Amino acid sequence: MAKALADAPPKGGFSFDLCRRNDMLVKKGIQLPGFRKTGTTIVGLIFEDGVILGADTRATEGPIVADKNCEKIHYMAPNIYCCGAGTAADTEAVTDMVSSQLQLHRYATGRESRVITALTLLKSHLFSYQGYVSAALVLGGVDVTGPHLHTVYPHGSTDTLPFATMGSGSLAAMSVFESKYKEGLSREEGIQLVSEAICSGIFNDLGSGSNVDVCVITKGKTDYLRNHQLPNPRTYISSRGYSFAKGHTEVLSTKIIPLKAKAEVAVVDAMEE
Amino acid sequence: MASKSIAHDVAAYQDALRFGLDGVKGEIVGSHPLEYLRETARRDLEEKKRLITDLTYGSAFSLKMDLDKQILSRFQRPPGMLPSSMVGLEALTGGLEDFGFEDYLNMPQDAETFRPVDMHHAMEVHLGISKGPVCPSFT
Repeated sequence: MAKALADAPPKGGFSFDLCRRNDMLVKKGIQLPGFRKTGTTIVGLIFEDGVILGADTRATEGPIVADKNCEKIHYMAPNIYCCGAGTAADTEAVTDMVSSQLQLHRYATGRESRVITALTLLKSHLFSYQGYVSAALVLGGVDVTGPHLHTVYPHGSTDTLPFATMGSGSLAAMSVFESKYKEGLSREEGIQLVSEAICSGIFNDLGSGSNVDVCVITKGKTDYLRNHQLPNPRTYISSRGYSFAKGHTEVLSTKIIPLKAKAEVAVVDAMEE
Repeated sequence: MASKSIAHDVAAYQDALRFGLDGVKGEIVGSHPLEYLRETARRDLEEKKRLITDLTYGSAFSLKMDLDKQILSRFQRPPGMLPSSMVGLEALTGGLEDFGFEDYLNMPQDAETFRPVDMHHAMEVHLGISKGPVCPSFT
C-alpha cells in the first residue's frame, strides 16, 4: 500500500518547509511578524420563504483599510451562498474549493446540492487543519429540505440557527437581531433587518465599514444585491479627476500568454455519396 | 504534541566539524504538529476504509484492490514531458470525485526548486541502462 503511494507522482498542498527555519529564528531571538488583525461583520437570517445573507465590504490589514468595496458573500452553488470572515485568502480558498467539490458532486449525482453537504465538507476540512485555516463562515441556502442557515467556526465546530452573525462586528449585529428578529419575516422586512444589523456593525465596529451587500436565496431563485446600501459615500472627489499620465509607472517586462489557441474554422464541402 | 518536536539546528549542517552531524531525527518527525496530524489522519482514513471493505466484502477483495492500486500507480507517462494524470488510480481510490488544496495549491511542478527532467536520461534510468538519479535535485 505504501509502495503504491510512493510510485504515484507527488501532489501539492500545504508546505511545511519553512517551519523549522522559523523555529530556529525565534530561538535566536528574532521577532517574526505577527498576524494582521481582521475585522468583518457578516450576518444571516431565515425569513418566511428562504434565507438572507448580509456582509459589509471593508477589507483590513491591521490598521489599514486594504479594500473599501470587497466581496464577502461567496458563491458555493446556485442555491447556496457563504459569507466569510477571518483571513480573506483562507475564506476565499476554502469556499472556492468546496464550491468545486459541490460542482463535481452535482456532475456525479445530477441533483441540486444540499446545504448539509456543503456544511460537512467545510467543517471536515477546517477540523482537519485544526484552526490553521482561519475561516469563520455563515453558510446559507435553500434545498429540497427547506431553508438552512449555519455558522462554521475556524476549528470546525458548527451551529444551526434561525439568525446568525460572525466576525468582529457580530456583537453589534447580534444586538439588532436579538431585539428585532421574529419568525415569518417578509422579504422586505428581512432585507431591512439584515441591512440594519450590518449598518450597526459598520458604525460600531472599527474592523467593518463601507457598504452593505445582501444576498436573498429563495426556492429556485437567488438575488445577489451587491452594494444594496451605500451608507458611506465618498464626499470629496477631485474635480480635475485622477488620470495618471501614460508611463507613470515604468513597465519592466511584458509577457502575454493567450488563454486558449484560436480555433480555425475550415469550410469543407459535404462529401458526395 | 510538544514531545514530537526534536531540537534540530538548521544552520548546523554547514559546519559539521564544529557542530556535529545533522540530526536525522528532526527530519523524520516533521517540523510542525499539523504536518504530523495530516499524515496520521490520511493514514487512519485509509486503514478505516480498508477495514470496512475487509468486513463487508472479505479480505480477498481488499487484497485485489491493493494489487490494482499498485499496478495503476505504476502505469505512468514517460518522465519529462507531462505529469501523469493518474486517472485510473484516482478512479479506484475515489480521488476523482474529490478536490482539495493538494490539487491546485503549491503544485510540485510550479515550485522554484523544480527542474525539468531530461526524458532521454530518465528513460535510461527507468530501464536500468543508465545509472544515477533521474534528475539532479536541490535538496
